[in-house]
Amino acid sequence: MAGKSGREISASKAVSLKDRLLTWEGALVLVLIGVQIFGLVISDNYNAVNVLREMPKYLAEIFMLFGMGYILILGDIDISVGSIVCLSATMACFAGNGGAPFAVVIFVPMIVGLLCGMLNGLIATKFTELPTMIVTLGTQIIFRGIAEVSLGSGGSVSMKDQSGLIAMSKKIGPFPLSFFFVIIAAVIFITIANRSTFGRKLYAIGSNRTAAYYAGIAVQKCRFICYALLGFLAGVCGLFLLASLYGANTTTGNGFEMEVIAMCVFGGIATTGGKGNLIGGFIAAFVIVCLRIALGQRNINTQVILVVIGAMLIVSVLIPAISAAITKNKKRKAV
Amino acid sequence: MAENNGDTILELKDITKIFPGVKALDGVHFNLRKGEIHALMGENGAGKSTFIKVITGVHAAEEGKMFLEGKEVRFRGPKDAQEAGIAAVYQHPTSYPTLSVTENIFMGHEKLSGRMIQWKQMNADAQELLDRLDADFKPTDEVGALSVAQQQMVEIAKALSMDAKIIILDEPTASLTANESEKLYGIVEKLRDEGKSIIFISHRFEDMYRLASRVTVFRDSRYIGTYDVNGISNEDLIKAMVGREIKDMYPKEKVEIGDVVLKAENLSRTGFFKNVSLEVRAGEIVGLTGLVGAGRTEVMETVCGITQADTGRILLNGKEFNPVNPKTAMDAGIVLLPEDRQKEGLILTWGLGRNVTLPIQEDVAKNGMNNEAKEREISKKYLEDVDTKAVTIFQPANSLSGGNQQKVVVAKALAEDGVKGMKVIIMDEPTKGIDVGAKAEIYSIMVDLAKKGFAIVMISSEMPEIIGMCDRIYVMCSGRMTGCLERNEATQERILELAMAESKEVSA
Amino acid sequence: MEKKSLFKKLTGSREASLVIVLVVLLIVISVMNPAFLSFTNIRQIFLNNALTLMMALGMLCVMLTAGIDISITSILAFSGMTIGLLQKYDVLHNTFLLFVIGAAIGLFCGFLNGTIISRGHVAPIICTMGFMYIWRGMAYVISNNAWASGQDVAGFSDFGKDGAPGPYIILIITYVIFFIVMKWTRFGRRIYAVGSNAEAAEISGINVAATVTSVYMIMGLLAGLSGVLSVSIYASAQPNMQYGKEMDVIAACVIGGVSMSGGRGSVVGTFLGALIIAIIAKALPLVGIDSIAQNLVKGIIILAVVILNVLTQRAMDRQNLMRREI
Repeated sequence: MAGKSGREISASKAVSLKDRLLTWEGALVLVLIGVQIFGLVISDNYNAVNVLREMPKYLAEIFMLFGMGYILILGDIDISVGSIVCLSATMACFAGNGGAPFAVVIFVPMIVGLLCGMLNGLIATKFTELPTMIVTLGTQIIFRGIAEVSLGSGGSVSMKDQSGLIAMSKKIGPFPLSFFFVIIAAVIFITIANRSTFGRKLYAIGSNRTAAYYAGIAVQKCRFICYALLGFLAGVCGLFLLASLYGANTTTGNGFEMEVIAMCVFGGIATTGGKGNLIGGFIAAFVIVCLRIALGQRNINTQVILVVIGAMLIVSVLIPAISAAITKNKKRKAV
Repeated sequence: MAENNGDTILELKDITKIFPGVKALDGVHFNLRKGEIHALMGENGAGKSTFIKVITGVHAAEEGKMFLEGKEVRFRGPKDAQEAGIAAVYQHPTSYPTLSVTENIFMGHEKLSGRMIQWKQMNADAQELLDRLDADFKPTDEVGALSVAQQQMVEIAKALSMDAKIIILDEPTASLTANESEKLYGIVEKLRDEGKSIIFISHRFEDMYRLASRVTVFRDSRYIGTYDVNGISNEDLIKAMVGREIKDMYPKEKVEIGDVVLKAENLSRTGFFKNVSLEVRAGEIVGLTGLVGAGRTEVMETVCGITQADTGRILLNGKEFNPVNPKTAMDAGIVLLPEDRQKEGLILTWGLGRNVTLPIQEDVAKNGMNNEAKEREISKKYLEDVDTKAVTIFQPANSLSGGNQQKVVVAKALAEDGVKGMKVIIMDEPTKGIDVGAKAEIYSIMVDLAKKGFAIVMISSEMPEIIGMCDRIYVMCSGRMTGCLERNEATQERILELAMAESKEVSA
Repeated sequence: MEKKSLFKKLTGSREASLVIVLVVLLIVISVMNPAFLSFTNIRQIFLNNALTLMMALGMLCVMLTAGIDISITSILAFSGMTIGLLQKYDVLHNTFLLFVIGAAIGLFCGFLNGTIISRGHVAPIICTMGFMYIWRGMAYVISNNAWASGQDVAGFSDFGKDGAPGPYIILIITYVIFFIVMKWTRFGRRIYAVGSNAEAAEISGINVAATVTSVYMIMGLLAGLSGVLSVSIYASAQPNMQYGKEMDVIAACVIGGVSMSGGRGSVVGTFLGALIIAIIAKALPLVGIDSIAQNLVKGIIILAVVILNVLTQRAMDRQNLMRREI
């Protein structure tokens, strides 16, 4: 072959500790530590045991983080997940109250979620001309609509036989059971995203969908899988939510989609696709959860937290633009 | 050099434009007379487009002076140039696809009464302009629904509506059929007769010979010269553009030709091409040419599984083969180097290594997990093989020049061959927009591949490279195969004749 | 030729097909229940959907530039809560001034959105999501868990109570202004130009960043006004008011033919889109469907409309290809 010049191209990569810390994920670890210090300063009750005790009600949402991360990496978006949580939790309650054994009840929300996700995926891949925001806006209203119709005029349902759910909210030592599931899910989904061929495909599709297709990647199949997966994980979220709420109503899961997207974006996953790391999203989720617990312990109006989360979100997305403006300024001065 | 007679309307002297790290224009001159059609030629990257943007005020030049009708002018923005009577029709129409023709024509200089837009008046005016151009669409039509040729006409109408004295046409015929080009020539000549001065940028010699009276050549951001079209031979012009004799460009060698590897029979796809047949043998470099829009890329895309043909069949090594998606084609041994390497060939934000191994990551993976070490090894080997000018395999693809990006695309194809073993390589405009040196390297890689026994298809609009590199040349016109020429019978004239054959049908 | 142009008219003009849908809808409903088209009923439909109708105009502008704003109901809540509290603590009771304050708050919120999106190059959905949290949170913070009740806003609520002309006048004025601005002024057409091809707009001398900023300011202004209007119509102010209703506004635009990718949409279409949703919601009980199924029907309609759109477009593209001579 050619290679006449005999030029060598380096293939070794040395990453220093400084480089590692300078990544977004590194910065988030520092923020997480900062939040712990903040918690300890403002609240006397902020300690490991208390934080873990209050954690379960927030953990359920984190399951969806992984699926949403995949969807955002693809350059898509799914705003129907809050409604899928509502529908799947509702159906689980109906199944349980209808006499199904708890072993079956566990699978009901997952299957409902999976079906909802598959419907999203089907529409998104068959009608690629449509922005996924519109598709999932439609299904968001439909899924919650189905839940509303099945809940009837009362608008809520509670699980009569709560023994199974109580078992689910058990603890192992100080750790709630769901904590382990979240960690296991994190390990699996982060490994898939960062190390597997499937994960690489997602980044390829999100970075340049056309080039990915030309390189032989089954773009629509990958998208379908991710929508189905996110639906499934929304079902899992619905199940774990039941374990702390023991019932569902028409507003269950309201706004979850935005919270999950916010976690991802704060974690450095761009909505434009192809960028970011699920590890960042995972750390960001715990930053937000710990912040909520800390502020909650001081009886600070839970809604104040919204302001803090919103501000963090905007600052985090503005950082690239600000740093770009600064370097541009420097360059101009240098010239 | 051409004599300077007649009234000069626009003159540019010693224009230098610097982009971060590159001198895009280096002291160039230009002189345009009243009522002339002046061709501006040069290879891709010679600085023509930047030059146009300086004239139209999109870019401000660092050095140099511009004189309009004898007076020095300095444009601070596109608006200034427009007001001075300079209008440009760009290569890709810069129109508003969701808006009406009228609105596209008058955007930025709407007819107002008070503060209200006078739609009726504007529609009538637009109709008048369209009539002048002999256009076959209405002012109320949505521009996005028009053909490229019609959209160009809208742009020309826009230039006329601003009462432009100088009209710049940037590669207007690049995406037009022969008929549409002919119509455009007529319009341009009509404008000239009305007293407009026209700068015509084109890669096509026939455009220049047909229209221009003078031609200015740029090369490597520099001014080479201005010539009378009648006084310069084709060879001299090419030499001026390329900077050396053209013969040593093509290292074509005789290679043993083997069996038929790829064969297409009567492929048709509604709206794109009809009854296209061709065959390619092992060791053969086959050219596929014709004007842009003739359906060349579309035919090859069906062979590579990017899109599907409606009827007809494809045979690979004598066996019928149905590429339902790119993956099946790749697994069968067909690899495509797409036309638009930035959009279709590369992920620009990714490192070179990952780009090279993207199609083969699954083949080297273990249990679905990426084998990064192996991937690094492979990408390093092939990137070095094609002599990519890069420091590390981790630098992003958008840090390379066009020619080196193309080498990465080639390395990607070679890596596929190394891992899976490929049979057919389809190169769509492989030398588009890359410099002369890199072109020669791409050609020598092609020869090496032919020696290795690949069946190679090269789609190209550049006639010299088609004639210089190919064993056989297929020519398409408006979606039909109009002919096939052997290497010894191929001349520019013959190819052009077939490429413009329109409805005449010649069996391949 | 004649046939083609008729086909084009029906599929090409979104407004025409929406009018047909609306007329068919009204005929079916009035056949099933002749009382539907009574003056009171229609009046109430407009009053109940005044906020959506109002904000849909702003969303139209935002979506024309290929953007989206999901912070609108939070801006509404913040503005509404502010003017509610101003009355509760007897700081101000002047209706006109209250509107001015609400509008100013909205304008400011919109300015922040617009500046961050156009100058900071932040994706519109992310930026407005941040402010969705911030302004909703601020509404809670300033309310300090208190509501402004009907008693607090007693005099003010006369402006928007059922039967009072206030909300209708505001709606009519806004729609007339937008209809004129969007169709007949340079500013309006610039919004279309930016959404249709921002790069080309820049070349023809349009200040794209300023245009983008201004559409979010318009959106903010309308959201702020809607906040004041909401307090007046419902005679109370709570921090959670109109929670989640931004999706209704987006849905109205989508049904009205506003494209999410920018450059396509009209005031008339937006109006019809919002009206169709409103009428269906109101009519469901009359045709025997439990009003609980309102959302379900709404969702299905949205999906059906957008999918139908894609299918017509595909059919048209295919026809164009068939017509090409080869």
